[in-house]
Formats: sequence, structure tokens, C-alpha cells
Amino acid sequence: MRSYLLLMRWTLLHLRSVLPLLLFLQTLIGVGVVVGFSFLVPQADSVTALYLSTGSLTIGLITVGMVAAPQLVTQAKMTGAFDHQRTLPVPRLAMLAADATVWIALALPGLATALAVAAVRFDLSFVVSPLVVPAILLVALCSVSIGFGIAYGSKPEVAGLLSQLILFVALMFAPINYPAERLPRWLATAHEFLPFTYMAQAVRETVNVPAAGISPLSFGVLALWGAAGLAVTYRVMTRRG
Amino acid sequence: MVLRIGHLTKVYGKGAKGVRANDDISLDVSAGEVVGLFGHNGAGKTTLLHQVIGLTMPTSGTISIDGKDVIADPAHARRACSIQPQTHASLGAVTPRQAIEMMARIRGAGRHRARQRTAELIAGLELEPWASKAGQQLSGGVLRLTTFCQAAVEPGRVVMLDEPTNDVDPVRRRLLWRQIRALADAGCAVLLVTHGVTEAERVVDRIAILQSGRIVAQGTPARLRGGHDERLRLELSAVSEAAAAALRPPSEMGDQMGMAVVGRRVVVTIAADKASAAVAWAQAERAAGTVEEFAINPASLEDVYIGLTADPKEPRDA
Repeated sequence: MRSYLLLMRWTLLHLRSVLPLLLFLQTLIGVGVVVGFSFLVPQADSVTALYLSTGSLTIGLITVGMVAAPQLVTQAKMTGAFDHQRTLPVPRLAMLAADATVWIALALPGLATALAVAAVRFDLSFVVSPLVVPAILLVALCSVSIGFGIAYGSKPEVAGLLSQLILFVALMFAPINYPAERLPRWLATAHEFLPFTYMAQAVRETVNVPAAGISPLSFGVLALWGAAGLAVTYRVMTRRG
Repeated sequence: MVLRIGHLTKVYGKGAKGVRANDDISLDVSAGEVVGLFGHNGAGKTTLLHQVIGLTMPTSGTISIDGKDVIADPAHARRACSIQPQTHASLGAVTPRQAIEMMARIRGAGRHRARQRTAELIAGLELEPWASKAGQQLSGGVLRLTTFCQAAVEPGRVVMLDEPTNDVDPVRRRLLWRQIRALADAGCAVLLVTHGVTEAERVVDRIAILQSGRIVAQGTPARLRGGHDERLRLELSAVSEAAAAALRPPSEMGDQMGMAVVGRRVVVTIAADKASAAVAWAQAERAAGTVEEFAINPASLEDVYIGLTADPKEPRDA
């Protein structure tokens, strides 16, 4: 616990100079998804509006977890700071937890703003479930652990490309901002196994609870993906070449 | 004995193509001792440190710290060792003072002790002018010293320093050597990788010379200098390259053990008892206007080092 808190301070100290920029970009991306996509779909019906406003939250979490966080890890790998970190006398899990906490905390203000903008833009009122807190945390954790898994598990050049690809797929080709029915069959099938659908679903269903209730499936799948990402990360952190 | 390395071998790759980065290395470092590890680039020095700290898995051999097997328990190695890596810290907006103090805290020091040790090191290395500046504004030398302080502020039983003097100015190098010595005097076992053979000679208790992954010589500086102790080195600066090439030491100076001419600089190795003949000759050449200046010094450890590592095949047969 002591190392966890110290490492968190250490990460924050390191990020201090880019912190305002990161927060600003986070907010911009969230709001941008809401506003930008509403240009694409001028007459948003209530379904589209719900997908766009909750999708922006999911995209925000994916950007932080699977793009920004791995980018910094990759940087640390290239400068040798990564190896140095691995020589510190602290539990590996404390190190991961500290980083994940900082990244998730970073994403939250942007999420709140994006949701507020969406509510105004589409004139929506939500039926928010208290489960929204664990849902957002789970999506964030899953996103960060997959992001770390990629950054730790692959070469720096590959990790960079992968995170760009993820963002592209998440924005355009994943049922995050629109329902899965609009995708071609094969892609919809692929998304039954990828985490994006479930991330979007968990956020959407807890921000605005559907008549049928919240599906536990999305929570389960996300937990599995999160665990897989964590396992890869942990394995790489403790590996000795 | 704090650090014990026995028959350590690390092979990268498999089969005949495998590279033996470390080849049957045995080395001990006791508390209060500074051991210098010398060797060309790629001789396997960093690989050795990485195996001790648990970043790299040895192919065979043993490593123990205070009698505990750290290959089986790398977490113990991380608690018992602090390391200054070869790359210097990328601090971003963090100041050296913050970076050093945080590292002390992460390594287990209390708030008060962390602050006090940080202040001591910053004062000892005369880093005050930069201590509160953001890392991105600092020179490589200051960053390197900051990385040293991070390893020294709350040192482990073993402190490993990977080329700590790189990029550091001559004045602070001296201060740095003093701090390294202080670590050993405080009871740490210090293992030091450096290329600065001559400077390190004054600080280290023992030396190990690594060549293609093997230790080719090990001992105190005096012992390693051995036969070379009887030799002197006469260095002359001629007025021109042509004058340097034309210089011929007289027969009174004995059979020269070696004479090297590089540009206007001439180095002649002579036996100690020929010193007066050498001075007489050099002075005569100076009077004649062919030599600008000259100096006589004991043959250095650097000469020994270069002699030992000159032929890559030789040590394998030794």
C-alpha cells in the first residue's frame, strides 16, 4: 500500500507537465465524438443519440487506456526507464495499480463533460443506475490492462501501430457509437469476441437502464479481457531475458 | 562477503550461434569494498549487472547476496541492490531534488531521512544550482549525477553503478568518486562499471577486467600493474610530425619496450633505471628545438588494461 501511494505520486509527478494537455485532449475527444458524429447523422433519433452520448464515454476510456497509457510505456521502454523501473524494490502489482489509477482518474473529468454536453445536445434524460460506477471502472480497468498488455508484450514500433489501429477500429468499425446490427455479419461476429461491444454495452446500459435490465454478460466478458491483459503485463514485467 | 557470483554464464541464442555474453565469471564483492569492472564495449559488463538485479536470467552459475540465492528470489535482489543504469533518467518536469527524494522514499526511507540524504548528496556533488530545475532543462552530466544519487540515496547492501562518470565534468567527477568511496565506507559493496581506468584506479580496491565475456585478470590495482610497476612512460611532444618521426632514442636508454608515434606525440616505455638517461636525452632534444615538452610517469593501469585486452584471441588460451 505504501509503495502504491508513492508510485502514484511518482507517476503524477512525471506527468505533471503534460497533465493539463492530457485532461484537455480527453475532454476534447469525448465532446468531439458527440458533436462530430452528430454532423454525420443530422437527424439523430433517440437510439442514435443514446449510442453517441454513451459511446463517447467508452471511446474516451479506450483512448486513455489503450492509446495514451501504452504510448507512455513504450516511451519508457525506449529510454531505458522501463528497465530501471523493474529494478525498484516494489511489488509489480503496486506498480501496475498505481499507473492504472492515475490513468483512470485522468479520464474521469473528460467523461463527465462529454456526458453533460451530450445531454444538452440531444436533449436527453438518462435513467442512471448506481452500477454505472463499477461499470466505468471495469471498462477503464479492462482498457488499461489491455493497453498495458500490448505495450509490455510487443516491440515499441508494433505497440504504436497497434494502439492506432485500436482507436481507428473503436471509432469507426465497432458497435460503440451505433448498434451492432448495422455492421456486416462477419464483423458483428468478430465483435462478439472482442471487448469493444461489451465496453459500450456496460456503459450504455448503466447510464440509461434499458427496459430489459442490465446484461451481466458484458461485465463477465470485460472481467475476462481485463484479466488476460493483466496476465500478459504481469508476465512481461517479471520475465527475465 | 556480500555479493557472490560463481561460474556465471549467460548465453544469448541457441546452439552454435549462441553468444556467450558472460562466460564462467566468478567474482566476489565484500562490504566496504569498491570493485571496478573494466572492459571494452560489449565485453559483457552490463549483462553481468542485469543478472544480479534480476532483469536477465543466467544460463548457469550462481549469484547470492548475503548468502541468499537471488536467481531463485529476484525480489530479494531488488531489495538488496540499488543500481544506476547506463541510460540517464528522463525526468520530464521533475526536478533532481524531487526525483532523488522520491527514489529514497520508494526504496524505503522515511520522509525525514529521504530529505536529509538528498540534501547531503546534492551538496556533496555541488548540484545546488540545478537541484530545483525541471529535468528537461538539464544537461546530460547533471542528469547522470541525478541517476547516481537515485542509486546512492538509500543504497542497498550492493550498489551497482554502470558508467557513472559519463558526461560528467572533471570537477564533479572528483566529487563523484568521493561519494562512491563514501558508499563503500558506509558498508555497501560497490560494483562499478567504467571506462575511466586511470581515474577509477584511485578509488577501487579491486579490479576485474572483462574480455569477450570472461574475466581475464582480477586483483588489486598494484597487483595487476605487477611487472609494469618497474616501467616508466616517457611522453614527448615534438614541434612537428616530421620531427616526431625522426626522433631516435639513444642506446643508453636501453632496449625500448615500446615506442609509439601518433602525430606530434611520442610515447616511449623504458625501464625504471633508465630514467636519468631518458631525461638527459629529452632535455637535449628540447634544447635542440625538436621537442616542445616532455613528461615521465609510471606506466598506468590503462597501459595494463590495453595490454590485456589488445588481442581478443589471447585470453581464451590463457
